[in-house]
Amino acid sequence: MSDVRGMTLACRAVGFSYEEADAPIPALRNVGFELDAGLSLALLGASGSGKSTLLQVIKGLDEPEAGDVLLDGAGLDDASCRDLRRQVGLVFQAPELQLFATSAREDVAFGPRRLGWSEAEVAATVDEALDLVGLPPGEFGGRHPYALSGGEQRRLALAGVLAMRPRLLLLDEPFVSLDPATRRELARILSQLRSDGVTLVLATHDVDLAWALCDQLLVLDEGAVAAAGAWDLGEDGRRLLAASRLREPFLVELWRRLGRDPADAPRTLAEAAEMLS
Amino acid sequence: MRPAVAQYYPGDSVIHRLDPRAKFVAVTALAIALFVRDSFAALAVFAVAGAAAYALSGVPAAWFWRAFRPLLWLVGLTFLAQVLFAPGAAFLSFWIFHVSWEGLEFAAFLSLRLVVLVLIGSVLTLTTPPLALTDGLAWLGRPLRKLHVPTDELALMVTIALRFIPTLLMELDQIMRAQRARGADFASGGPIRRARALVPVLTPLFVLSFRRADELALAMEARCYRPGIVRTRLHPLRAGARDAVLLAVTAAVIAAGLLV
Repeated sequence: MSDVRGMTLACRAVGFSYEEADAPIPALRNVGFELDAGLSLALLGASGSGKSTLLQVIKGLDEPEAGDVLLDGAGLDDASCRDLRRQVGLVFQAPELQLFATSAREDVAFGPRRLGWSEAEVAATVDEALDLVGLPPGEFGGRHPYALSGGEQRRLALAGVLAMRPRLLLLDEPFVSLDPATRRELARILSQLRSDGVTLVLATHDVDLAWALCDQLLVLDEGAVAAAGAWDLGEDGRRLLAASRLREPFLVELWRRLGRDPADAPRTLAEAAEMLS
Repeated sequence: MRPAVAQYYPGDSVIHRLDPRAKFVAVTALAIALFVRDSFAALAVFAVAGAAAYALSGVPAAWFWRAFRPLLWLVGLTFLAQVLFAPGAAFLSFWIFHVSWEGLEFAAFLSLRLVVLVLIGSVLTLTTPPLALTDGLAWLGRPLRKLHVPTDELALMVTIALRFIPTLLMELDQIMRAQRARGADFASGGPIRRARALVPVLTPLFVLSFRRADELALAMEARCYRPGIVRTRLHPLRAGARDAVLLAVTAAVIAAGLLV
């Protein structure tokens, strides 16, 4: 997937409510932010703060009641909106639940076929996606998805989305219930996508991985934006994260405790080791 | 998520507080009586009784409409079939259809009877929590245990099934969204294409359900569930004076309906 031109993303005063039996429940209120092409955004917030809803609205599974979602500058009313939405990949929470085909290769091919690509193109993108997620097609392509381990299933589901060659990739809690080795592997894949130029939005509770992978952050609180933009490493930023039942990234806290400037805190353990030695 | 056909409406009315067994017996008796006589007068008696019970329950009228709406096509179909095919002196004939006044009258009667049936039935389901209802049914089915029918186990199965309907609907929604995000299209094409489009949804749903059933069975065993033993209840059913009143009123309504 090398050298993808990432998609720019902007939300303007987006509002959305869920229809319930008695009264609509507001899930997003006046959400606005901008993300440049190729950058990565950590979407943080307590459970029920609207992270998943926002991702589904961006992908177009739900239409916002108010406001606009701009993909490459084109809004919902724009003629190119449908095509642009096809270039947005959304990886659901526990995406292994969506596996259905009788072989890994067939499952990954589902999305590309829906896009109407030729069989040759489908075969190429499937192999590429399987390779990227660390499931070499020669070994795993013919395996039954349900015969794979949990971590392999999660990566297979990710391949199913990557095979559609998204220019903007939205991930909903991708690290939940993975063992440390699979988490590390997934973080490696995401950082690879990032350096390939894909724009990333990562909804997560894991501030350490968010810190390692994301340029910017967006904190949601009861459907409204509590903070947006660069990481705030000051006292306010700490309070804000605590208010969302989160904590500051481990490496930032370490830097603070070492009496160093948290603004210089390293993003990864390797960087930290280098800076400390 | 929309409520199911006639989902429980929480409340504290007289009707809500009745014993589920008494309600079930009353509703069953009324439903049978409804089909004994073909007269508009009898229908009116049952309709008034049903409406009175509904009013007493304090459930908003909109909820009846919600319960009734999915059945509208059934009522419409019944009406059409009767109007178009019932024998009688036709005043309008075309192709194989003959419309007569008798047919029209009978069609109206049958449709109204369905409406009244739904009205009476919905009072039961709207005012009785599903768990209480299955408890009541298990109690009413106890004589069948003499015939080795596992009534308590059946009741538990129904209870578990009811408990998981909202869960399954939520999972169905999630899986459909996930497949839509991968380009699946459930809304276009003919019936065969649409049915085929459901394979990517139903396969994961079944796999998930079997896995969950397995885990639930293990969890129940771990909490000492054993089939075939008599179990006590946290909330034993207690019938009282108001349930006797319900049965008496029901008997009076049925008598009135059958005699008018």
